[in-house]
Amino acid sequence: MQSSDSLRELLIEFFDLPGSTPVEEITQPAISKWDSLAMVQLITELQNRFTIEFDLEEIQALRSYQEIRDTLARKGVLSV
Amino acid sequence: MSLFDWIGHFPELQRHAIVEAVETASLGKVRHALRLLKELSPEQRGRPFTIELLSTYNLEPILPPIELALSCIPSQAQLQLAPLNDIEGHVTRNSVAQACDGRVIIWRVEELLPEALYPFSNGFPEQLSTRTEEVVSRVHRLVKLHEAHTPATPLFLSTIALPVHFSNPLFASQHAAALCGAVAHINRAIYDIATQRSGVYVFDICRWAALEGKLHADALLDFVARQPLSGRGQVAFALFLARCLRPLLIPARKVLAVDLDDTLWGGVVGEDGLENLKLGHDFPGNVHLRIQRELLELRNRGILLVLLSKNNEADARQPFDSLPDMLLKWEDFALHKVNWKPKHENLREAAQELGLGLDSFVFVDDSDYEREQMRQLIPEVLILNSSSDPLHILNCLWTTDAFDSLTITEEDRRRHDDYRVRADRDVRAHGNDLEEFLRSLQMEATIEELGPANMERAVAMIGKTNQFNLTTKRHSRAQVQAILSAPGSIGLALRLRDKFGDQGIVAILVAMRSTQDGTLVVDSFLVSCRALGRGVEDALWAALVERANEAGIHKVFAEYLPTPKNGIVANLYDRFGLQRLEHNPSSTRYVLEKIEVQPPPGWIHLTKNKKGNAKQ
Repeated sequence: MQSSDSLRELLIEFFDLPGSTPVEEITQPAISKWDSLAMVQLITELQNRFTIEFDLEEIQALRSYQEIRDTLARKGVLSV
Repeated sequence: MSLFDWIGHFPELQRHAIVEAVETASLGKVRHALRLLKELSPEQRGRPFTIELLSTYNLEPILPPIELALSCIPSQAQLQLAPLNDIEGHVTRNSVAQACDGRVIIWRVEELLPEALYPFSNGFPEQLSTRTEEVVSRVHRLVKLHEAHTPATPLFLSTIALPVHFSNPLFASQHAAALCGAVAHINRAIYDIATQRSGVYVFDICRWAALEGKLHADALLDFVARQPLSGRGQVAFALFLARCLRPLLIPARKVLAVDLDDTLWGGVVGEDGLENLKLGHDFPGNVHLRIQRELLELRNRGILLVLLSKNNEADARQPFDSLPDMLLKWEDFALHKVNWKPKHENLREAAQELGLGLDSFVFVDDSDYEREQMRQLIPEVLILNSSSDPLHILNCLWTTDAFDSLTITEEDRRRHDDYRVRADRDVRAHGNDLEEFLRSLQMEATIEELGPANMERAVAMIGKTNQFNLTTKRHSRAQVQAILSAPGSIGLALRLRDKFGDQGIVAILVAMRSTQDGTLVVDSFLVSCRALGRGVEDALWAALVERANEAGIHKVFAEYLPTPKNGIVANLYDRFGLQRLEHNPSSTRYVLEKIEVQPPPGWIHLTKNKKGNAKQ
């Protein structure tokens, strides 16, 4: 199981954010690059990194660090 | 394929980032590697390489892995993505102004022929067949549009993969009009187009999908974004595309330098003795036999083979002479460097003798020591294998991209013989006389009757042979057939084999029987320029005389009609012992009255009528 720190690193690398970005600021409204294309790429990235498949409901809940963390935790692949 | 060979000259930092990106298939790491690559100098990055992608589905999410894969070729890759599913529109609008190095069309059943997924809702079979034909026409039209607007740009047409997700899969294969047959039909049309048109190539997604398709399909992503590949699938797909486009930038290597012991056979001939070598149809000799098959195929498609072996030449030759399962012949190697010198010295010599650069060479050797020495002393040489295991060597031969090219020409296929003939000519220059050289070619001729099996080749030769052509009559197929249909006419073709292989039909002789006096008149007599100076004309003439004799013919008439090109045969019939009847600037007429069978030249072994290609 991976830690929520590894999720933070993933998102910082994915959106090319400053390393010091607090997790509360990792949200779709706050990051201009987080458009629909990035959303698709992020889904791909998360499925690949955590070796999971999202269902239709879950992909509606990936709009911030917080949401992603909770979704991954529910799937049992992330320790919070 | 060997991405690591592609990126070998990048600095460690970039190499590491690329490997990490490919191994994790993480988009973040792909972008990171791309950023690092852009910090390199243009010389390090490779040539600018602009590729246009036109697709029926959404490639936008997977552009970064594609850009990375193309950058590894190496190249300064630039991708241009056309608007989604607007292929013809884009091709029409984007003419010469937007020059690019290659245009790739990527399509799939889901957009191209969605009806095939639901055949019974779409008029199976008639209506569906019609729709399939429409798709084939669309492909043809698209190629014409491309050629009209951007003729200089190489066009890559993807084949259609079978979809991963569809119902009623068993039936899909039971009718030509159903899904699998429809896909095969469209793909066949695509292969045909690439065969017929220069500048059009196949990006064979169908082959990729057969190997990796289901593993990399992601139905969710397809529904969300009309993009069907998982993260790992995207990277695999990108690398597959890069390999297909790479020959546009990187020429194929030309030579494979290969070791003998423990590679071509199991064991060491000088140590273990001939009888203990492993080669044949049983394990593990069958692995070595398969390696030989791969090498022979490489040779036959134009890759030169060079033997690099630390051995006594007598020992090395032994298996070639007497091991029954040896597939490769000693002569299949353009050069033999069998001695006790370091292999890198031998390879340098080979490069010099063949007139090729060191970067044209690929090296295979079971010895870690030899490979390491080659790597250090001649870094330009590509080392194919990384272990001594024969199955690993075989795998490397199957997967290597070192010899990748999009076309293989007649010239390529003859290359080996050209180099061998060159070597033999050197022998000839040093040898005693012409006859000895001709004997060394081990020529075998077969005389065939002209008939349906060889008519096409005969008519082609009649149409184009200029030098050794006594009458230069350019008959059509119908004319040749008309001559041969007359009673008593004789049409002969000579097929030649020599130690380099089957040379095919190289000489033609057509003679007509006169209905009035029963004499024979030679209408056409020609020899391909490939077979000049070998004495095949003597063998073919002897065959004609023999047949005339058997048919009780007492006179053969022949003529020489001079042209600017056929001076080489001005005195042929004089040499054959025919009498001159008439001689003027436009023709010389001859007659042979005393029909005596002349033996064919001693250096050509004649096999009579091996195949009954009799007239019909």
